[in-house]
Amino acid sequence: MVYSTWIKQLQSFAFILSSFVIFVQSDVPRPRGVSLSKASLYSPTKDFTCFDGTVTIPFSYVNDDYCDCFDGSDEPGTSACLNGVFHCTNAGHRPQNIPSSRVNDGVCDCCDGTDEYTEPNACSNTCEELGKEARAEAQRLAELHKAGSHLKVELIEKGNQKRSEMAEQLSQLEKDKAEAEKIKAEKEALKNELEAKENEALKVYREAEEQERQKKAEQERVDVLKESTEHFERYDSNNDGMLTVDEIKVVNVFDKNKDGEVDEEEIQYFFGENESVDKDIFMATTWPLLKPLLMMEQGMFKPAQDDEEVDPEAEAEDPSRDDTEDLGTDDENLDVDLPQEDTHDQELEQEHTRTYDDETQKLVDEATEARRQLTDAERTVREIESNIRTIKDNLEKDYGLHQEFATLDGQCFEYDDKEYVYKLCLFQKVTQKSKNGGGEVGLGNWGEWAGDDNKYSVMKYTNGVGCWNGPNRMTTVNVHCGLETKLLSVTEPYRCEYKIDLSTPAACDESNSGQQHDSHDEL
Amino acid sequence: MKTLGLLLVGLLAISGSFGVDKNNFKSCDQSGFCKRLRAFKPEKSHYIVDFENVMIQDNLLFADVNAVDLESESKTVLFRYVLKISALVDSTFRVEMEEVNPLYPRFATMLALKDTPIADQLKQVSKKDGQLVVANSKGLKVVITADPLKIEFLDKEGEVAVVLNEQSQMLVEPLVQRAKKEEGGDTVEVEEEGQWGENFKSHHDSKPRGNEAISLDVSFPDADQVYGIPEHTDGLALSTTTSGEPYRLYNLDVFEYELDSRMAIYGSIPVLYAHGSKRTVGVFWHNSAETWVDVVNYADGTVVSSLVNLVTGGHKRRVTSRFMSESGLLDTFVMLGDTPADVFRQYTRLTGAAPLPPKFSLAYHQCRWNYVDEADVRGVDENFDLHDIPADVLWLDIEYTDRKKYFTWDAQKFPHPSEMVANLTAKGRKLVVIIDPHIKREAGYFVHEDATDRGYYVKDKDGKDYEGWCWPGSSSYLDFLNPAVSKYYSERFRFENFPGTSKDVHIWNDMNEPSVFNGPEITMPKDCRHYREHEDGAEGLHTFWEHRHIHNEYGLFQIRATHQGMLDRSDGKYRPFILTRSAFSGTQRYAAVWTGDNAAEWGFLAASVPMCLSLALAGLSFCGSDVGGFFKYPEPELMTRWYQAGAYQPFFRAHSHIETKRREPWLYEPATTALLRDANRRRYALLDFWYTLFYEHARDGLPVMRPLWQEYPKEQPTYTIDDTYLLGNQLLVRPVVSAGVSSVQVYLPGAESGTVWYDVDSYQPHKANGYFSQEVNIAKIPVYQRGGTIVPRKERVRRSSALMAHDPYTLVVALDANNTAQGTIYIDDGETYEYKKNKFIYAKITYTSEEIAYSFINEKASFPTKSWVERIVIAGIKTPPKAARLQQAGASVALQMTLHKGNDVLVVRKPGAAMAQPWTISFTY
Repeated sequence: MVYSTWIKQLQSFAFILSSFVIFVQSDVPRPRGVSLSKASLYSPTKDFTCFDGTVTIPFSYVNDDYCDCFDGSDEPGTSACLNGVFHCTNAGHRPQNIPSSRVNDGVCDCCDGTDEYTEPNACSNTCEELGKEARAEAQRLAELHKAGSHLKVELIEKGNQKRSEMAEQLSQLEKDKAEAEKIKAEKEALKNELEAKENEALKVYREAEEQERQKKAEQERVDVLKESTEHFERYDSNNDGMLTVDEIKVVNVFDKNKDGEVDEEEIQYFFGENESVDKDIFMATTWPLLKPLLMMEQGMFKPAQDDEEVDPEAEAEDPSRDDTEDLGTDDENLDVDLPQEDTHDQELEQEHTRTYDDETQKLVDEATEARRQLTDAERTVREIESNIRTIKDNLEKDYGLHQEFATLDGQCFEYDDKEYVYKLCLFQKVTQKSKNGGGEVGLGNWGEWAGDDNKYSVMKYTNGVGCWNGPNRMTTVNVHCGLETKLLSVTEPYRCEYKIDLSTPAACDESNSGQQHDSHDEL
Repeated sequence: MKTLGLLLVGLLAISGSFGVDKNNFKSCDQSGFCKRLRAFKPEKSHYIVDFENVMIQDNLLFADVNAVDLESESKTVLFRYVLKISALVDSTFRVEMEEVNPLYPRFATMLALKDTPIADQLKQVSKKDGQLVVANSKGLKVVITADPLKIEFLDKEGEVAVVLNEQSQMLVEPLVQRAKKEEGGDTVEVEEEGQWGENFKSHHDSKPRGNEAISLDVSFPDADQVYGIPEHTDGLALSTTTSGEPYRLYNLDVFEYELDSRMAIYGSIPVLYAHGSKRTVGVFWHNSAETWVDVVNYADGTVVSSLVNLVTGGHKRRVTSRFMSESGLLDTFVMLGDTPADVFRQYTRLTGAAPLPPKFSLAYHQCRWNYVDEADVRGVDENFDLHDIPADVLWLDIEYTDRKKYFTWDAQKFPHPSEMVANLTAKGRKLVVIIDPHIKREAGYFVHEDATDRGYYVKDKDGKDYEGWCWPGSSSYLDFLNPAVSKYYSERFRFENFPGTSKDVHIWNDMNEPSVFNGPEITMPKDCRHYREHEDGAEGLHTFWEHRHIHNEYGLFQIRATHQGMLDRSDGKYRPFILTRSAFSGTQRYAAVWTGDNAAEWGFLAASVPMCLSLALAGLSFCGSDVGGFFKYPEPELMTRWYQAGAYQPFFRAHSHIETKRREPWLYEPATTALLRDANRRRYALLDFWYTLFYEHARDGLPVMRPLWQEYPKEQPTYTIDDTYLLGNQLLVRPVVSAGVSSVQVYLPGAESGTVWYDVDSYQPHKANGYFSQEVNIAKIPVYQRGGTIVPRKERVRRSSALMAHDPYTLVVALDANNTAQGTIYIDDGETYEYKKNKFIYAKITYTSEEIAYSFINEKASFPTKSWVERIVIAGIKTPPKAARLQQAGASVALQMTLHKGNDVLVVRKPGAAMAQPWTISFTY
C-alpha cells in the first residue's frame, strides 16, 4: 500500500497515556519494551524505519501509542500494535518477550511488572524471588541429572551388552536356521517318497469312498425334494400348484423379522419380483431361503453372525464398560490357529478310524510318521525364523543415543488410579484394566520417539483399541530423568488419548543444567 | 448439549447412518387433535355473533357468540361463547373466545407476556347489515361480521390486512362430561375413539378432560411470504404445507435432528409474520400446548390454481395460515405493523425484549462435553494465551457434577472449583456450568430429599412423584409452576448453596423441553400433573394442570427461576447470563438460545443462519449454533468457515460431543489455527458494536440479526434470502457455508436509494445492485458496511473482553452518497445494573463534510470510561479536507491525517479524544 503522508504539528492531548519515553534500565538507553539486542535499531537522532522497511516515521512516533508499522516495530512499549512484542528485562530472573496485547491490560505478566506501567503499583517486582526459586529448581534438576547419569552409565553398559548378545544370538540363529532347513529338506523328500507309496495303496479305498459319497448326495437330494414338496403343499392352501403372496402372508415362518406380519420386504425376499411361484421356482429359489428359518424355529440353527453384530452394540451403550470392546480382539487373536488344527486333527482321526489291510496300514503308518517329522522340522525352522525376526526388530529399535533404553525393552510398570490399573510395557504396549473387572484394553502399541527438541523425551504408543465414534486409543509417554524407572502419573486429557509421565535414569543427562524450560519466547 | 445419544448407540451402529429416527416423534396423523382438526374443513363456520348482546367499553368489546347446528332448520344453539376483542397500544388487538360457563376453566398460558398489555381505546364506528365496525384510537378499524363470524383488521389505508375465520376453521371444542350409558343394568362410560385416551408407541395418554382443542385460521391478503413460528430447520420464509406435515410447535429433544424439516425441535414460539410490499403484519398465538400450523401461500406453485382464482379472484398474493392447539384458551394477538420493524417491535412489546446482556457473553465461548478436570480447564485456558487467541468463557458440561447431581462438584476431578474460577477471572474470563432440570433420585442427595419431602416434583397421572430416565438414571422433575419450588430452586444458586461459584460463574439450563429418555417423544407424558393454585375444597381436575397445558413453557419456568436465583445471589448487582435449549415466547427476557445438537456438516452450518434469523424475528436475538458442530468432527475447512460465520452471529460458542476428537483451535495445523484466531479477533474488534446493538435491542426490541427485508421491505428479491443478513442496519453478512468455493453470490440491497456497501476488509465500495460475485479465499468473510453508518471498533484485541475495557476506539465512517454518516455507541461497566442508574454513555456520532461530532443521546447519563479515539477511518471520501481540529473540553488540537488514494480512505491519526466527554472534530478544505 502506498500512503502519502503529510504531517501537521503534533500536540499531545493531556490525558494521552504516554508519548515518547526513553526507558533506562541498563547502560544503553532504549525505548520501553525493547531488548538490549535490538536497542541499536532505535536511534533517537534519526527517523525510524519499520523493521519491514515499508514505512519511515519521525522518531517521536515510536512508542507514541499509535501503530504506524505493519510489523508493529514502532510500538515496542505500548499495546497499540496487534502484532507487536514487548520485552521485559526481568532483572534477577529470565527476560521475557510478551505480545503487545498484554501491555497495560491489568494482568501482571512480567515479573518485574514493567508491562503494567500505567498503574505503577499494580504489580510488585517478583523477579528476585522467582529467580531464586528457578535457580534452586535448576540446581535440583542438575543434581538429579548428575545422580541419574551414574545409573545411566550402568544402563548403557547393559544395553550395549544386550545388543552384542543379541548380535551373537542372531549369528548363532542364522547358523541354526541353515541346519534346520537342511533337515527339513531331507524330511520333505522322505515324506514325498512314502506318501507316493501310501497313495498308491489307498487308491482302491478312495474309489469306494467316492461311490459312497455320491450315493449319499443322491439320497440328500431326494430328501430335500420331499421336504420342500411337503412344505410347498402345506402352504399352497388352495392346492392350485401355485404359491401366492396371500398364501404366505398367513404363514409365520415367512415373517423373517418376527414383527408379526409378512411385509413387502419379506415377500420380496422370498419371491423376488414374482407375484406367485410354482413348485419348481419354490424349490430352486424360495426353499433355500426358507430352510434356515425353519431350522431356526426348530432351534436347530442359530445364526452366529447376528450375535456378533448385536453384542458390541449392547456393550457400547454403557460407556463405563469400555474394556469389553477389547475382549473381541483378544478372542480373535487366540482363535487364529485353532480352526486349522481342528480340521487337521479331524482328518487324521478319520484316517485312523478306518481299517486297512496290514500291508496298507504299514505304509500309512510310515507315511504318517514321515509327515509328523516334517511338521516338526518345519516348526523348528519357523521358530528359529521367528526368533531371528524378534531379534532383528529389537536391533532395529531405537534405544537412545547410547543404547541407554535397551534393557528397558519389555519391562512393565504399573500405575493404580481410582478406577483403573494402567500398565506400560516399554517398547511394547500400554494397557488399561478396570478395577471392576473386565479384560485389558489396549491403549497403544510401541510407535516411535516423538520429542520436539530432545527426540528421546517423548514416546508414542499408537493404534490401540478403537473408541466408539472416535479415533483409536493412543498414549503419549513423557520421559523424565529420575533415579528409579517408574510411572509418575497416568491421565486421559483427551478422550481416548492417554498421557503417562515416566521417570528413568535413562533420561538423565549430566550436561543438563536444568534449563530446558528456559524459553518463554512465545512468539 | 446433547440428547440421549448413548441409548441409541445400538441403533446407530446397525444403520450406520446419521439422522433422526422419525418413529420417535408424532406425525400430525399420530397426534389425535391434529388429525381431528386438520380434517375439520366446514363450508361455513357454525359460529354466529349475537349483535343484540355487544358491549363496548374502554378498550374492550364483548359479544355473545353461538355455535349453532347448521343442519337443523331452526339453527339450534349448541354451545354459547363469549368473544372479547381488546385494543392495545401500538396497533395491536387481542382476540379471545371462551365458552360461557365451561365445565372446567381452560389453562391460560402464564409466562409469555412480559406484563399486562397496555390498553388503547376502542369505539364503535358503525353497526349495520350484519357488520359491526370498531376502531382504536388511531382509527385502525376492525370489521366484525355476524353470520358466520368473521373478523377483519384493516390497515391505515382501510384495506383488509388480516382476517380471522375466513376459512371457517375457527373451533373451540366444548368441554364435555364423559358420556355414560346403561348396559345390562350397569352404567358404563362410552368409549369414543381417542377422546378419553390416546396411544403412541408403548405410551398411553389418559386425557382425563377429554378433547379440548382449539383452532383458528388467519388470512393475510397481499402477503408474499410468511415467517416465524420457530424453531424449525427449513428456510426463513415458510412453505405451503398442504401436501405434507404442518409446522409443529412442541418442545422436543430430537436426537440428530434433520434439516429442511417442519418437525418440532427444542423451541416453540407461536408468532407468525406476513410480509408483502404493501405491509407487514403478525399474529401471536398465545398458547403453550402442542400446536401445529398449516400454511398456504397462493403464490406457491404447488397450490392448485383454481383454488387461487376462487379465493383471490385471480390475485395471486395471499397467504393463509391455521393454528391448531391441543388445549388452552383461544387467545390471539393481531399486530398490524405496518413495517417489519413495527411488527417486530409490537411482538417484543408484548413478550419483552432481551435485557442488556453482560458484555462477556457476546464474546467467544469455549465449550466441550466435557473439560474433564481442573487441569484440563487450566490447560485450555493457558492454550488460548499461548496461541494468542482471545476467549472469554470456558464451559463445563454435565461431567463436572458428582454423578449428575446438579449443584455439586465431582470431588476428584474438581476438588478446588473456587481456585479454578479465580484462575480464569484473573485474566477476565468466566465460567459457565450446566444445571439441568431433571433431579437424580438418589437417597441423600439434598435436592431430591427436599423435593420428595416437600412435594416439589411434577406428579404422574395418579398423583405420585413422576419418575423418568435422564442423564443421572432415574430422575424426577421439579415443578416450577409451584412458586415455592421456583423460590427453592432460585435459592440453590446462592453462593453459599453452590460452593465454588461466584458472580463470574454463569448458568446453562439444558434438557429443559423437558427431555425424558423413556417418555413419549422423549419428553414428559402429557397427563403428568403440575401445581395449580386452587381454592380450598376444590378437587379432582380442578386441583392441577396437566403437562399438556404447559408443556412449551416448562423450560421458561425453569430459566425464570434460575434468573431470579442469579439476581438474588448478588443482591441484584450483576447481570446473569443463562443459556437455554428449550424456548417459548418470553424466553428472551432471561436467556440466550442455541440451535441444539447439530453436526459437523456443511448443511448444519448453512442452517444456522435461517434458524437464528427466524428466532430473532420471534424475539430471540441472542442465538447461535454449536461452532464446529456437536456430533462428528469438522475438517479444517468446515471448522474455519464455522468460526468465520460464528464470529458474526450473536452467540458465539464452540462445542463438541464427548465421543468426538478434540478440536480446540490450536489442535489444527498452524495455518488453520491462524484462521480461527483471525475470526475470533474480528469478533473482539467489533464487541462494542455488538454491545451497542444489544443495548438498542433492549430499548427497541428489534432483531439484532435481521433479514434484508426488514430494512428493505419493498425489495421483493430479499423476501426469500436467508443466507445473508444484517447486523443492525450497519453490517451485511454473507457467511461462506459451502465447501471448496472460490466465490459466492452476495445480494446487496438498496439500489433504489443509491446505497453503497463497503467491503470491511478493503473499504472497497460496491453500489447496491442486487447480486454480485464476491471472490472468497479461505480467509475471506464477506461482510459489508453500509454507506451512511459509523461502526466503532477496538483494534487492540486482548486475552478477554474485560481486559479491553479501557482500550481506545477506531471509528469506521462509511459515507453515503451525500457524504454523511451516523452511528451510535453504548459504553458502561459491562456487568452490573449500574446502567439503570444512569451510569452509562449512549452517544451518537454524526459525520458531515464539515465535522464529525460525538454527543450524548441521554444527557443525564455518564460513565467515566478511560477509552479514547485512536483512529478514525473515513471510507468513500471524495474531497479530502486539508486540516482537522479536535475540540474537547475547551481545548483545540490540530490532527494529522493520512489519505489512502487507492480507495478514497482518509485516516485521522490519533485524535486522542476522550470518550467520557462529547467532542467535535472540524474539517477545513
